Order: sequence, then structure tokens, then C-alpha cells
Amino acid sequence: MLDIVNCQIVAKTWHITLPDIHVGKGQLQVITGPSGIGKSTLLHWLLGNMPEHVLINGQIFLSGSNITNVAIEQRRVGLLMQDVYLFPHLNVQDNICFALPKNRQLSSKKQRRLEALNMLEQINLGHLASRYPQNLSGGERSRVGLIRALANQPQVMLLDEPFAALDPSTREQMGGWAFQQLAKQDIPSVMVSHDVEDIPVSAKRLCLADYYRAIE
Amino acid sequence: MPTARIRRIALASGWLLVCLISLLPILGIVVGLWPPEQVRFADLAPFLAYQGLSVSVSMTLFSAIFSTLISLYIAFMVYSQYHLSRRLQSFEKYLAPLLSLPHLAIALGIVFLFSDGSLFFVDSGLPRKGLSTLIIAIVIKEVPFFLLIFSAIGRQLPIKYWLLQGNALGYQDYRCWWFLVFPALLKQSRLALLAATAYTLSVVDISLLVGPNIPELFAVSVYRWQTSFAVGDQAQAFWGNVLLLVLLAVSVLILYAHEKLAQAGCKTLATQGSRFHIGIINPAFKAWLPMLAVLTAMIVMVFTLWSFGVNWHGDRFSLAQLTTRLWQDEWLFFALPLQNSLFIGLLAGLLGVALALLALELQRQKGTYWPDYYWLLAIILPQLSMVLGWQVMHIWTQGGYHSGWIILSHLPFTFAYAYLVLKGPFQSVEPRYELLAASFGYSSWQSWWQVRFRLLLPAIFTAFAIAFSVSIAQYIPTLMLGAGRVTTITTEAVAIGSGSQQDLIALYVLLQSVLPFMAFFLAALLARRFRGSMDGNNMGGHDVRHC
Repeated sequence: MLDIVNCQIVAKTWHITLPDIHVGKGQLQVITGPSGIGKSTLLHWLLGNMPEHVLINGQIFLSGSNITNVAIEQRRVGLLMQDVYLFPHLNVQDNICFALPKNRQLSSKKQRRLEALNMLEQINLGHLASRYPQNLSGGERSRVGLIRALANQPQVMLLDEPFAALDPSTREQMGGWAFQQLAKQDIPSVMVSHDVEDIPVSAKRLCLADYYRAIE
Repeated sequence: MPTARIRRIALASGWLLVCLISLLPILGIVVGLWPPEQVRFADLAPFLAYQGLSVSVSMTLFSAIFSTLISLYIAFMVYSQYHLSRRLQSFEKYLAPLLSLPHLAIALGIVFLFSDGSLFFVDSGLPRKGLSTLIIAIVIKEVPFFLLIFSAIGRQLPIKYWLLQGNALGYQDYRCWWFLVFPALLKQSRLALLAATAYTLSVVDISLLVGPNIPELFAVSVYRWQTSFAVGDQAQAFWGNVLLLVLLAVSVLILYAHEKLAQAGCKTLATQGSRFHIGIINPAFKAWLPMLAVLTAMIVMVFTLWSFGVNWHGDRFSLAQLTTRLWQDEWLFFALPLQNSLFIGLLAGLLGVALALLALELQRQKGTYWPDYYWLLAIILPQLSMVLGWQVMHIWTQGGYHSGWIILSHLPFTFAYAYLVLKGPFQSVEPRYELLAASFGYSSWQSWWQVRFRLLLPAIFTAFAIAFSVSIAQYIPTLMLGAGRVTTITTEAVAIGSGSQQDLIALYVLLQSVLPFMAFFLAALLARRFRGSMDGNNMGGHDVRHC
């Protein structure tokens, strides 16, 4: 589970002091608010990518450990953005192989490829394994992107307006499927969105605008 | 005559002009490689039996491929460091002056600084003439070239997000660079790699001055045969030119194999999932550009000191030795070559830029852009063979020897470089600006001139500086088309460079370096003055290797 404690976003002319946030296993926390208020900045701070133009104070606890100052690559935090940025020189299966952790069960190339294929087949996308990202539709790319992020067995998933680039029907379908996958794997998730239609009913909401204060 | 007909004729003339210029390299190769009457197939045997041929060819191929690939890898590591560092992201601004130093000046500069009897190594240092010296000089010059190519490519790739995704999946930055960014950059740098290799394969001037002697590099042998009247040498020259083309084809295969191997290697490592930390290895490359700046300054300084009579070979090293005697004595001799260089450089540069703009505009009007390979033939084919063809055609015309021919022989090169620099900015001009101008009643020509041309001005100034520098540095076309009757600073510098009068060499190479530097300096000033919405430094793939 994820805990965000004493978090404050400070810009030149404004600041936001957030209440403490707790996201339990399989839960979804949605951050909303108007453009430019710092939703994505907050998400990138959770990822470990320090923002340039604002200062963020606070502590991030993941399953009880303080990860505030831990490097991105050591956090085991999944990231899904509007463009999922599948690596164009790797096919779908290899994109997932890239994300799989290295351990005894997944040490050989064969084991890794098999595991990647299994993951794709579980969601009926096995036929895409040898395709390259440029040959996938928007919906397929988003699904593969989520599977790739899950392949790394993240402790928390961050979603930055992940369905904004999809057409309305794919968007609804993809949203339902993605939240189901995350809940099934008990992964706490934080999503940034300014579109209320993307937000599932069960999600907890936090609107940054409610905590916005101008500095005089 | 109706306007539509005039327009059609103008368009057809424009296409004819740019096609002629861009096809001159092919024409040169075809004519240059057309077997002369006295050449027979039986001449191949003595050519192949020529003493030292295999060593010469191997050394040439090795130096071309090795210097290109080393430059590529160094540039990649430097680029990864600068791209990561927010403070240093604007490194492109500092590349232009570093790029303005010609190959010849770098080669002789490192000899002046680091060879036997130089400032830093009085007893032993880099060989005065040798493969290592040549490769070092080429690498020093090519790294900034590849940096600019990467920078242009990098602007079109979501590198930042690839790195972020890689980081989020547990990989360190430098692993992400190698596994995720390098394959993409490598694939898109094919043309640059080919241009760098083709240049080293057929370069004569710096091979003559700092390349190995016994055996000499292959291009030098071919050049010697081409300019010799001895029996059998023309046949040797013909087969030599054929072999140069074969070497280019072999280089293409080697570069392609390298690309495939490197990509397969990166892919294998990427999918193995190994994330163990082996420390930081790349930050040392952050020092490359400052070191290059220091080296450039030292090279200019050492030439200046030598030309003013200060050197470290005497008993004392003091500023009291300072004298303008050499400048005064030589003024009469270098005034004409200097004047020729300026005149030829200005005209070849201006025409090159104008034709590049014409080629781009014609393609824009047609709605499709032809592949870059077509327009850049001059820099991806062996120069020696193509100039031989031009020389033969020049003799056919019996047009005498004057600067006009030299300008024409420089034009394919200045055009190619100007095209390379201008293509990116030209394509990124928002077409709706011109639509808007048309809605205010401007004709298509007026809106082109008032809008597109004005927006492109910073890029045009940089393109001109590069084209001018390319012209200044041309040796083989100037010498072969001018037959020694039209001298430039570069032909004089090479002629003097093979002698032993160090102070004279320093003076001429200094003059050769100052001209492009001034062009870049002026271009930077003017670009700043006219900078609009386009950034003069945001060029699509600068290429100033031959400056």
C-alpha cells in the first residue's frame, strides 16, 4: 500500500497542502483538478522524477518503507502515460521481456520469452507477440503498455491520463479492463485525470483545486 | 506570354538546375570511371601486383571504418551526458566555433602540439606522419559532427520518455541509453556514417600531410597516379578509382553489418532483464567538449605564435622573439590565394544556399520530398573519382582555367551541406503563415519572400557559414579543375604543409582556419539579429565535417 504524508507543492505564486493520502491494495486514488495545477507534477514526484519548476515536500511510504529519496529505478513503480512509449525497436514480446524482473525463474532467454507470451495470452493478445509497436492500434498499444508495466511486478501503479488519446468506445473498454487488471493483482494505483468519465465509481477522488492557496 | 506558361517554364528550369547540380557527382563518377582507350583488362594484373597495395587498401578501409565508428561511439556517450544534464543541454551553441576549424588545421595542429619536437613532446610523441595521427585528427573533427546529427535526430524522438519508462522498469540511465536510445539513433545516422566513411576513404590533403608514408593511404596513391604522365599510371589510376568505389561498397556492407550486430546486441541485452548496478561509466565524456574547446584554442594559439616567430626550438622561449616579419614577407604571396578563397567561397556558398532553397521549395510545391541520398550524393561518393570525371569534362569544354570552374566544382558540395542544414528548418515552417499572408492579398512569391524566407533567415546564415567553410576547405576540386593556376589558401597550405618550414605552415593554416571562423562568427551575429520564431541552432542535421 501507498502512503503520502505531509505533502506540499510550492510554486512561486501558489502552494497546495495536501491531506495525508492512503491507497490500499487494489484501490485506486484519482487526482483531479484544472490544467496546470500540478497533477502530473505530483505523479512524477511519486515516480521519483523531481519536478523542475516547483518544490514538493513530503514523504512517500510504500508498504511501510520510506521511498522518498530512492532512485526511480529502485522504486518498482509502474508508469502508464497517455502515450505508452513502447520501445519501437523491440517487438511486443521483447518489450515485455525488457520489463520482466531478473530472477531465478526468469533467467534464461527462453523462460523470459515464454513468460512474456503467457502474459499476452492471458489477455488474449498472444497474436500480437511478434508485432512491432508501430503496427498496433491505439487500444492495443495501451493494453500492451499496461501489461509491460505489470510485468515488472510494481508495488504501485501511476497512471497519467492513460486513456486520453483513445477514441470514446475504446477508452471505456480499456478503462474497465485496466482497472480490473490492477484490482485483480492487488496493486494500489494513483491516476491523474481531468475527465470524470475516466474515473470508476469505486475510486477515491482528490481535487487539487480544493487545497490551492495563492501566495500574497 | 501567359503567366501560367511562364510559371511552368520557370518551374521546369528550376528542376533542371537543381537536378543538374545534384547529378554532377554521378556524372563525375561515370565519366571518371569510363575506361580510357589505353586501359585494358590486362592492366588489372599489374595494378593488383602493385607493391604495398593490399596494406595500403587495408589501412585505408581500417582508418575509414575505425575513425567513423569510434567517433560515433564517443559522440553517443557525450550526447547521452549532455542530454541528461539540463544545464548543459544548450551545448549546440558551442559546437559551431569548434566545427569551424578545418580538418587540415586539426591534423597539423595536433602535430604542432603533440608530435616529436612539438610543444608538449620534444623527444617522443605522436608520429609526424602516421595512421594514428590521421585517425586522431579525423575523430576530433567527426565527434562534433555526429553530436549535431544526434541532436537533430534526438529532437524527433521521445528520448526523455523512453528513459523515464526504462527507469520506472528498474533500469539505470546509462543502460536505458544503450538499450533504448542507441538502436534508434544508429538507424537514423546511416547517412552521416556513410558520409564520414566516404570522406576518410578518399581524403587526400590530410593523408598527404599527416597520413602514413610507406605505404601511403590508397587515395593518395590514386591521386598520384591520376596526376602522373608516366607510362601505365593512367591505367593504375583507372583501376584505383574502380577500387575506391568497391571500397565504398564494402564500407556500406560493413556499416550495415555493424548496425545489425549492434542492434541485435542491444536487443539481446535489453530482453535479458539484467538490472545490476555496475557504477557510473559515462560522466568522463562530459569533459569532451570543454577539452575540444581548449584544444581548438591551443591549435589557433600555436599557429599564431609560430607565424609571429615564437617557437620553442630556440634556446629561449620568450615573447621578445615576437615579429611580424613572416607576415610582411608573405603578404605578397598569400594575398592572391586569400582573395581567391574569399571570392570562390562567397559565390559557391551563396549559390549553394540558393540552390538548396530552390530544391526544397520545388519539392514542397510538388508535395513530396525526395530521399536525402539523392541530394547528398556529393558527400557520400568518393570525391577523388568524381572530380576526375569533372576534370575530364572540363578538358572537353576547353574552357580555360579560372575561378568560375572552381566555383562550379565546389557547388555540389556547398549545395549538399546547405541542403542538409536547411531541410529541417524549411520543413518545420508552419505552412499556415503563408496561407495567412495569401489571405492578406500577397502573391505566392511575395508570401514566400516575406514569410518563409524571413523565418528561415537564421538557418540560412548558418547554412551559408557552413557552405562557405566547405568551399574554403576544398583541396582536390580546386587543384584538379584549376590545374594549379587558381590558387587558394587551402591549396597553398597543403603545398607548404608538405615542406619543413614550420612557421610558414602555421601562417597558411592559421589563415585557412580564420576564414571559416569569421563566417561562423558573422553568421551567429546575424542569426541573433534576425532570429524570429525559428531557432537558428535548431538545424536538421548540420554537417560541417569538411569545413
